[in-house]
Amino acid sequence: MNERLILLKRRMKAGEHRTMRQAQPIDLLPECESEGLSWPRRVARLVRRQCEAEHVFIGPEEKIVFTRTVPGVPPVYSPEDWSNLTAGRILHELGPVSNICADWELLLSQGLLGRRKVAETTRARTAEDSCAVDFLESAIETIDAVLGLATRYAKQAGLLGKQDIASILESVPAQPAHNFREALQSLRLCQAVVWLGGNYHVGLGRFDQYMWPFLRSDLEAGLLTIPDAEELLAEFFITLNKDSDLYPGVQQGDNGQTLTLGGVKPDGSSAVNDLTRMVLRVSADLELIDPKINLRISSQTDLELLCLASELTRKGLGFPQYSNDDVVIPGLVPHGYDLEDARDYVVAACWEFIIPGRGMEVINFGVVSFPATVDQAIRVGLAGGMEFDEILSRTAENIRTQVYDLADAYSRLLLPPAPYYSIFMRGCLEQGCDLSQGLKYNNLGIHGAGSANAADALAAVKQFIFDEHSLFPDELLAALQVNFNNCEPMRQKLAEEGPKVGCNDDRADAMLSTLFDAFASSCEDYGRTSREGIVRPGTGSAMYYIWLARGHEGMREPVVGSTADGRVRGEPFSANLAPSPGVRVRGPISTLQSFSKIDYRRICNGGPITMELSDSVFRDPESIRKVAKLVRIFAQLGCQQLQLNSLNVETLMDAKAHPEKHKNLVVRVWGWSGYFCELAPEYQDHIITRSLYQVE
Amino acid sequence: MTSGIVFDIKEFAVHDGPGVRTTVFLKGCPLACMWCHNPEGQSIQPQVIRSLSGERVAGREYSAKELASLLNEQATILRTNDGGITFSGGEPLFQAEFVGEVIDYLDDLHVLLDTCGYASQQDFLLLLARSNLIFFDLKLFNTEAHRYYTGCDNDLILNNLQLLSESGTPFIIRVPLVPGVTDTDENLAGIAKTVAKLPGLIEVDLLPYNRAAGSKYKFAGMKFMPEYDEGRPLNINMEIFEQAGLKVKLA
Repeated sequence: MNERLILLKRRMKAGEHRTMRQAQPIDLLPECESEGLSWPRRVARLVRRQCEAEHVFIGPEEKIVFTRTVPGVPPVYSPEDWSNLTAGRILHELGPVSNICADWELLLSQGLLGRRKVAETTRARTAEDSCAVDFLESAIETIDAVLGLATRYAKQAGLLGKQDIASILESVPAQPAHNFREALQSLRLCQAVVWLGGNYHVGLGRFDQYMWPFLRSDLEAGLLTIPDAEELLAEFFITLNKDSDLYPGVQQGDNGQTLTLGGVKPDGSSAVNDLTRMVLRVSADLELIDPKINLRISSQTDLELLCLASELTRKGLGFPQYSNDDVVIPGLVPHGYDLEDARDYVVAACWEFIIPGRGMEVINFGVVSFPATVDQAIRVGLAGGMEFDEILSRTAENIRTQVYDLADAYSRLLLPPAPYYSIFMRGCLEQGCDLSQGLKYNNLGIHGAGSANAADALAAVKQFIFDEHSLFPDELLAALQVNFNNCEPMRQKLAEEGPKVGCNDDRADAMLSTLFDAFASSCEDYGRTSREGIVRPGTGSAMYYIWLARGHEGMREPVVGSTADGRVRGEPFSANLAPSPGVRVRGPISTLQSFSKIDYRRICNGGPITMELSDSVFRDPESIRKVAKLVRIFAQLGCQQLQLNSLNVETLMDAKAHPEKHKNLVVRVWGWSGYFCELAPEYQDHIITRSLYQVE
Repeated sequence: MTSGIVFDIKEFAVHDGPGVRTTVFLKGCPLACMWCHNPEGQSIQPQVIRSLSGERVAGREYSAKELASLLNEQATILRTNDGGITFSGGEPLFQAEFVGEVIDYLDDLHVLLDTCGYASQQDFLLLLARSNLIFFDLKLFNTEAHRYYTGCDNDLILNNLQLLSESGTPFIIRVPLVPGVTDTDENLAGIAKTVAKLPGLIEVDLLPYNRAAGSKYKFAGMKFMPEYDEGRPLNINMEIFEQAGLKVKLA
């Protein structure tokens, strides 16, 4: 990092740009009401007024500009109108469309004026269709608003004598980008406006694919050197961290500003290029939590690339997260994705696989609580004298009920229009249809949470009650009833001696596969949803590993008490794919072997194997190479997704006791990284206690 | 069929030899080094470890076949990643017959023996013949000091070192640096002189003292009683080895 970058990073961290923030959000309710605007028009007006309200701020030393000064996103309906509009319907999370991915290549290759022309052509063709006209005029209004904002920035830059910035903004985002710097500037502004309009978890897609042609031609023409390009890229990454405190999420840091690297081209050949490597290098150099990086790999991926990625893991930011093309693509195709589209997948805010510009999918709609399905079956089954197979059938029925409940609830989903976001989706302007009306892929994604604990509970019951007869059903039921109070020897037996997921023990792993197979069958049997998509089952847990154990306001899933794997009430469940908390495993390879037994052709929604490696593993280049080999083993075994983190337990404990000393400590939480000291205590504790592969 | 006692199996042991390896920790050791950081490896008897995260028993009996098939589950992975199995401890030579049998059952895996060298010639040769690489510890050159700090003489060790160098099996000498005990110039020079011309020696690794050494004693119901100043700065004198024409590195 050169002086300029160090300064930019320091200014960003100190939050100097935040002093430019306006005190109050704008109010556009009166004009929406007096003009009687339609919903799409209101959303367009919101984008326009937000752009108009922006104060131009160009920091000293900046080359890539735009700093958000507008604080919040105001409502476009009065509370009363809003409740009428949404009566009988449900909203996903906060309401606005989130967690999809634009095709930013559309912006860079056509420019906003190119997109505007498409909208005008379609409007002329669909003049009779009021819906289409409403949408297209809304989209055009937002394009004009962004162009207006760019013009104001250009003028200000000119006044400040920054001619380079001025001339770039006179060209982009209106025109197609001509070079790497223009492409970065165009993307920065247009992506930030998506956030400004209230949409969130706005991903950056296959950054190394759509940006590479610009960088390559600049390098070939001698317009840029590698260090120049790295400097621009670093500055772009710094800008992405500026406004993230304004972005909504469950915990601070959960903002879904991700990008995806590597993978394959439409023809299946490797898509890795010099920009792939540059992003990994620059991100490791900057040590900032945005953008969060996903790397698509396969069993054939070059070990040198994995070494570079492991250097980034060493920084302890909790990324890159790996997805295995060998498994992901063959999982998407049987779920209705065209092969070329499947090859173009990116990872959403956390883990789910989505297609840029072609998906209006709701991929994290809720979870099936495996612990609840299993616990109910065990309690009812043992009380009723069932055989073990009947307990399994009962579990499968419970899973089915939960899947159908979720999918039925989804039929009441209401997606607000997003005319501006639609500009960057394939077919919206071309057909005069807002993205909320659906894109090429409109599937529903749900996850199965707490899988390791649930499988361990089944395995323990099978082992001790049905196979060994070393435990009587009544004894276990009574102990569960009283949360193992005064039953410590039994609890220890269940917790310590039972078969456990993560140890490559078929007795437990078979239960894990059974749970996910039942989950997949229920999703397949449900068939088409109300949005004409299928139901995709996944392996993530998000915050549910805590919520399902402790309860949470508004959560529809039941809270589960003590469980047959020897877990007492209130203890968190396994997060994503990980051994149950507290389970001693031989190490990461057995754990990978355990999770490789899931049939990922059916379980295609994503959700990572989550592993922490002690930071001592990253001591020298030779061991970092071994970490790279571990990642390759993950791919070779046919696992789907991997979240690898480097951390030090003592550091975490110290950070909990002395947060003031560890303000920059970043940890991976579930699908995202955040500052450790900004997490609620229960999340801190979980990270400290969750299985750590200590290496001496 | 022989059986043996193992107190831990750790996968992805990145500091225990080349490639991706799994380390098997054999329980029981003839030495009782004052600075031992694996005190639960000293006695061959299973023992209870009570730590902040609960209670567990260290030490489990395996038959040779059982342990080998457990390790063989990952044979392909270990082989294709330039790794294999490391036998450590405790002291693997303390259960030489068992370890030898486990190795015989292994599915063509690279074997690294991590040893203090204290064993009968017969036991040493038994495992030497079955290993691809040896980590051979040398702690103290002076016999008396060796006896004082480890509880045993070092003549068996030096004899076995001689056998090792004649065997053609490559080896690495590992010297734990204990402040004021093993890190003195005198001791390091003695070790350097002893190993200087040995055929088969790849390098000398110096292992800096780890202040976490004593942390496990309490959990194992044992007492940690160092008669040296743990806080004293280490004398890391690599030159002594370089001057003797040896390749040396800090591990």
